[in-house]
Amino acid sequence: MKGRTRSLGLLAAIAFTVAPAAVHAADDISVIVDACAGCHGTDARSPGEMPGFSDKTAEKIAKVMLEYKSGEKEATIMDRVVKGYSEAQLQAIAEEFAARNSR
Amino acid sequence: MTKITRRTFNGILGGVGAAAALGVTGCANVGGGGRPHVVVVGGGFGGATAAKYIRRRDPSVQVTLIEPSETYYTCPFSNTVIAGINRINFIAQKYNKLADKYDINVIHDRVEAIDPAKRTLVTAGGTSMSYDRMVMSPGISFKWGAIDGYDEAAAERMPHAWNAGQQTELLRKQLAAMDDGGTVLICPPKNPFRCPPGPYERASLIAYYLKRNKPRSKVLILDPKDAFAKQGLFVEGWDKMYADLIEWVPAAKDGTIASVSAADMTVESELGEVHKGDVINVIPPQQAGAIAVRTGLTDGSGFCPVDQMTFESTIHPGIHVIGDASIASPMPKSGYSANSQGKAVAAAVVAMLKGQAVPTPGFMNTCYSLLAPDYGISVAAIYRMDGNKIAGVKGAGGVSPTGAQYQFRKKEADFAEGWYASIAQDSWA
Repeated sequence: MKGRTRSLGLLAAIAFTVAPAAVHAADDISVIVDACAGCHGTDARSPGEMPGFSDKTAEKIAKVMLEYKSGEKEATIMDRVVKGYSEAQLQAIAEEFAARNSR
Repeated sequence: MTKITRRTFNGILGGVGAAAALGVTGCANVGGGGRPHVVVVGGGFGGATAAKYIRRRDPSVQVTLIEPSETYYTCPFSNTVIAGINRINFIAQKYNKLADKYDINVIHDRVEAIDPAKRTLVTAGGTSMSYDRMVMSPGISFKWGAIDGYDEAAAERMPHAWNAGQQTELLRKQLAAMDDGGTVLICPPKNPFRCPPGPYERASLIAYYLKRNKPRSKVLILDPKDAFAKQGLFVEGWDKMYADLIEWVPAAKDGTIASVSAADMTVESELGEVHKGDVINVIPPQQAGAIAVRTGLTDGSGFCPVDQMTFESTIHPGIHVIGDASIASPMPKSGYSANSQGKAVAAAVVAMLKGQAVPTPGFMNTCYSLLAPDYGISVAAIYRMDGNKIAGVKGAGGVSPTGAQYQFRKKEADFAEGWYASIAQDSWA
């Protein structure tokens, strides 16, 4: 399941080029990424005090989230948020953000 | 006003070319190649977000957003307006970007009646149209008379300020006009209601204002509950900053209000104690917005039962109800919940219009409260589907730590403002 979630993230990233039915089948990483925008702005283009990361690579975004998850990086709220996702999901979320930003 | 049928409506807005160009075939409910039409009713956090995200997901879907107000005043940050920290323009949102950037047909009108079987609606202005799917995000309406004496006329003397705008300004002006040494009564409702921590943020920011301007005054919270959202964090902050200013009276100590008198500016408890206030903020019991009640979308609770995967009404198929009006528990009735649901419903509606399987959604809620402009606290929750029910992910989310240092609270206050900037952009721009 973990590997599957990750590949779904990749699929979602290229959604507009593949048959939509392939993306809309199971847990949708794109809806989860959309949910992040309430704090970070649409596609992580934050207009205010919240960190934006629309110019960051998938590796960088994933690294920060995994550091929050391990407790290596201190947070006010993200430590509580990342606990809601598996490492594979965080990886897929990072890939989806980066894919949107490169468009 | 001209009656617009769907046929002419589609013709006005651009026909079938875009759908054909994108290779979309088999649009459900639309015979002969017309573009599917989604009507979004209500332009708050839920409706605005749903309209925008449907267009982002599938530009072949036509979206009409019907919202009475040309300027929408958000409840989030309205307490800072009441306390004189921000002006009312700070919480004003407009619809021009939704129209211009996303090609959403924004109509400022009020939906008068809906025929769920025929999938048609008529507005107060006389416009009628049909829809393939409707997203309804009507917010709340008030159960007038549930507290004896509290009706719409009483709300002009004892504002609820639980829909932002004129009521927010009214409460701010009353507070500004109050003499030093006055008493502010805040009467929150029982659960469930819009924005569970809201009354306690309001008490905090009113105390912030009074401490600086009218320090001999007092805030009395008369509560029909024995516990409230983020309670530990609020009480910690009150002890630190507003110990002599805020008093909370829970249900167990006769906090429940049975009746009010707007003429006498008094409220009476269940056991008959009469409290006089110089400013009285009654936040009455709530139900789904009027159009949802009128359309028969509510159950005995006053809110709208939905399939939590698609937010489609379990009473009237074809109408998806999101935001405060829907029964989305364990998600709270908050702007962030509505925004998150708007995105999930966008994905569901786009899939359903194509006759595809609905993607399994995930949801989130983050909510900041201010106890002072430099003192913020938060709660977060992550939700996923457990079968066809929404469930909070265990071990994730929760509230800010108690006992945190000043810098932590200050940072959360800064993030609260950043949160507002982001969610406003994400919903309306």
